[in-house]
Amino acid sequence: MQEGRALTPTEINRDLLRSVLEPPKWFWPVVVILTLWVLVGVTVSGIMINRGLGVTGLNRPVAWGFMITNFVFWIGISHAGVMLSAILRLAKAEWRRPATRAAEVLTIFSLMTALTMPIMHVGRPWRVLYWVFPYDFARGIWPSVRSPLVWDPSAILTYLTSSTLFVLIALVPDLAVLRDHTTGVAHRIYSVLSLGWQGNARQWKFQVIAGVLLSALILPVFVSVHSIVSWDFGMAASVKSWHSTIFAPYFVIGAVHSGVSAVVFVMILLRSMFGWQEYIRKEHIDALGRLLIVVATGWFYFLCMEIIFGLYGREADEVAVRTMQFMEYPWNVLMIIFAGITYFLPVALWLPRSFRRNLWIMSLACISVNVGMWLERYLIIVPGLARKQVFTFTWQTYMPSITELLLILSTFGLVSLLLLLFSRVFPLVPLYDIKEGEFLRAKVQVGRSTVPATIRED
Amino acid sequence: MAKRPLLGLFDSADRAADAGDALKKAGIAETDYDFLTDAPYPEGAFGERAEHHRLYIYPMIGAVLGLTSGVMLTSMTQMAFPMVQGGKPILALPPMAVICYEGTMLGAILFTIFGILFESRLPAGKLGLYDTRITQGFIGVLVHCEDAEHGKVSGILSSAGAVEVKWENARAATA
Amino acid sequence: MASHAHAAEHEQGHSHYPADMWVFPQSEKVAPDLVGRTVAAAPRFKMWMLIAGVLAVVGIIGFIARAATDGFDEYGPWGYYMAVFSYLFMITGAAPLVGLAFRFTKSHWRRPLSRVSELFGLLGVVNVLLFIPLLFVLPPLANPQVDHGELAVRRTLWIAGPWGAPQLWDLLGVVALAVMGLVILWLSAVPDLAGAKLAATGWRRKLYTMLACRWCGAKRQWHIQKAGLALLGGFYFMTLIFVQFLIATDYGMSLVPGWKDSIFPPLYTVISFQSSLATILIIMFILRRWGGYQEYIGVSLFWSASKILLGLTLLWTYHLWAFFITFWYGRMPVEQNILKYFLFESYGAVFAANVVFSFLLPFVSILLWNRFRKTDWGPALAGCFILVGTLAFNIRIFVGSFNAGDVYALALERVPPPVYPDLWDIFIVVGCIGLAAFVYLAAMRVFPVLSIWEVKEGALYQRMERFMKGRYLVLAKPE
Repeated sequence: MQEGRALTPTEINRDLLRSVLEPPKWFWPVVVILTLWVLVGVTVSGIMINRGLGVTGLNRPVAWGFMITNFVFWIGISHAGVMLSAILRLAKAEWRRPATRAAEVLTIFSLMTALTMPIMHVGRPWRVLYWVFPYDFARGIWPSVRSPLVWDPSAILTYLTSSTLFVLIALVPDLAVLRDHTTGVAHRIYSVLSLGWQGNARQWKFQVIAGVLLSALILPVFVSVHSIVSWDFGMAASVKSWHSTIFAPYFVIGAVHSGVSAVVFVMILLRSMFGWQEYIRKEHIDALGRLLIVVATGWFYFLCMEIIFGLYGREADEVAVRTMQFMEYPWNVLMIIFAGITYFLPVALWLPRSFRRNLWIMSLACISVNVGMWLERYLIIVPGLARKQVFTFTWQTYMPSITELLLILSTFGLVSLLLLLFSRVFPLVPLYDIKEGEFLRAKVQVGRSTVPATIRED
Repeated sequence: MAKRPLLGLFDSADRAADAGDALKKAGIAETDYDFLTDAPYPEGAFGERAEHHRLYIYPMIGAVLGLTSGVMLTSMTQMAFPMVQGGKPILALPPMAVICYEGTMLGAILFTIFGILFESRLPAGKLGLYDTRITQGFIGVLVHCEDAEHGKVSGILSSAGAVEVKWENARAATA
Repeated sequence: MASHAHAAEHEQGHSHYPADMWVFPQSEKVAPDLVGRTVAAAPRFKMWMLIAGVLAVVGIIGFIARAATDGFDEYGPWGYYMAVFSYLFMITGAAPLVGLAFRFTKSHWRRPLSRVSELFGLLGVVNVLLFIPLLFVLPPLANPQVDHGELAVRRTLWIAGPWGAPQLWDLLGVVALAVMGLVILWLSAVPDLAGAKLAATGWRRKLYTMLACRWCGAKRQWHIQKAGLALLGGFYFMTLIFVQFLIATDYGMSLVPGWKDSIFPPLYTVISFQSSLATILIIMFILRRWGGYQEYIGVSLFWSASKILLGLTLLWTYHLWAFFITFWYGRMPVEQNILKYFLFESYGAVFAANVVFSFLLPFVSILLWNRFRKTDWGPALAGCFILVGTLAFNIRIFVGSFNAGDVYALALERVPPPVYPDLWDIFIVVGCIGLAAFVYLAAMRVFPVLSIWEVKEGALYQRMERFMKGRYLVLAKPE
């Protein structure tokens, strides 16, 4: 599984540092557009803080809407980083090399973006401090660790801290390359950031161990984060369709499904934006496509379990929610679209090898998954609340306001902007990983055919 | 007499590895020379010494500290504000376990990062003798030896195929 | 002499792998050696077959006694029988997948374990036989006498069940798995049997000739064989997950009033994968240590498989926690009673054994440590622990489910007492395991226990080669 020609270290430096040293002409105009886009979100947030949550479509009983949907969505995207980087690193999958950094960075930015959503959702963001920080704000009231809403920040902040440090540690050797390729202020900044990295045997040994050890340590955190997000719902016995034991693994695998799809799309974008055709090759997209078939099918199994056991109990209040999801307009239409674009369409597109190597088709499939996964969270949250039974005096549905819509859209701009700015300062494909992959390439002669091979350390 | 560094630059990893053999044969201690590269070569590829470490202890210590912090945080906050919720006990172990778990993992990861930096001897105050061509694929063989041995070592590096040998005063001898 | 050895090592490069980590069997010796070992069995092997056979007879006695004492009208007394059926089904049903899955991922280290895994396909027949009595004990879906507060139709997957539900459809699933398992074993073994028929005599020669069909090793045949195995592997996987979902629900959850637990089928599947891999590692260890297969089975197999075992162990614990915390947090009476019944009160001790042997002991004492995972005995010992844990899991779930009281009640309103095994239950449990062992050992006398063609193929793609000053493993992966 090694296509493309062998690359020299000089070529690798030149190509992969292009985004930092010679940004393309479109770079700043795109940054300006994305900044304006983000500013729209900032403005509507300001309006929401000023006027209160009345400007949204939230109501009783549907107190969670677009913002919480979007929160779960971005947490889901953040699972791509560790999934790709840690699992594939531990599995020693050669094709992981160009994907790891972009995936890890996507993790950080999507986590940061996800965090903004519940903070905005509470209406008075400054009060979040009282609820989650273990500090007595002179009132004798401490956060309740028995609430899943307090578990959430503890898990997300652990994941954010770990992922950020993981990326920074892995960046050090590449920062040394940047130090050696820059002058003036940039050189001084990269010199400080690269911590005096020389590239001696001891430093490399620990860099390699760091990759494996941190992967093994972050993996359990990654699983816990989306599990805990799922328990925001699952612990609520009053919302029947949420109180399901399968929610934790179902959310985690769904997150991996959407996250890896998002990484594939980002890789395709990077490939065409920065001309990295020799690094992000079609074989890599193909391998990710095959992985996605497995992930998607696993996710579909959990979806089936969730639905089957929702109906299994034949309890009136749960049946009411399911009837709404499957029988009532517009939820039934949304449900069909959701199932179609999250599983059946993308998997059909990933099955033929020629499709997996067609970047347009892969982009379409990956976008389709993410639209579908956004819808999935929406279909879990709103119908459940709209047909909530206990302590509910009215049944209402939910229609998002323009404020919420603009806020949600701006988060996509924010993640894109942050990724683009990152690429201007740091390489988005790990240089040393690619270089290592190059000299570990080997060939084995079997009869008259030459089979690509890899040198393995264990 | 203090030892001073000498850097031989090679454009081939095999020649750099041969230089290592030659240095060993010439009686230079394994701890006195090192290979500077732009990517992690497999362990032992240069015939270099095995690096020993205690990195695996760091996450253990971090985990214990993190768990302790988690237990203290969850138990003390609940006892400071003992409000019963949904019939659960004040010191409810399953929810406490969730936060303790996160604390344990955070402690383990923070200490691992600290351990990696400490064991890698980073951040290093000064870069020392170095050449920017190393990040372009050249291999640096960094030798610490006494002034009297500089000539001999320089000769060994040059005859092994070094494209350049340099020492601290930035004086260079091109092969 | 010493300097000569040093010079040779210098010439070839230093290898930092442990001595028996990787083995490279000589391609031309593989076939005659492995066929020879299949045909000639050591006296010790025959002794183990005899012991397994005697145990199987004990099981038959236990079964007859149970049927004579309690009949098939009540399902309660059959709890231990169900537990041991499920125990064997989850191990032997998932075992063929181990070889198929790692063949799918093109992992070279799996080569020696492929046949060991696929031989479990034969035990599908045992599963079918053991399952038949269970068809008769399951209570009807419709409540024959609806009392106040009872359901007219008990809670099952079969809301408006088709004819014969659930027994007929469950049986079909178990039979389908057995048939596919046999076909997979045959398809995988065809090339080896074609080679072995030339060396075999007597009944083996006839059998091998019949099973080998007209295999001559043509390129087209190899293509069809590999594509067939990949396709069947996919179907087998999907069927297995579905059948496990049916068994776990129809013979477990649906017999406990008010137990609604969407994670239970995945939990069942994960522990099934964990225990089947554990079993295969134990067999590989025995073959390596006492079976004379040391030159074919390197420690790398245990090292690689143990990572998967570690993952599955953690995954099972994670699923268990997800179940527990949702029920615990909800504070609903029925869920609290189910926790008390299966986890803390009635089957508290069995649950403790389940967690200790399925998670704590294998994880903390072995799987967490690289040093132990890089041995052949470490993962095998972890496997032994896991098998004990899996048995405890099946006992608490199925003995509990078979004795949870009124199956038509709305909810589990009281916590029923535990049911301890009587002599016939012990006979049944030991005997069923003995029967499975006997059939497996018999299969080892018919089929080469290592896949000859895969080991030979592996020799083409794995080498130890010099790179700079060291010697490293070079792995080639053909498309």
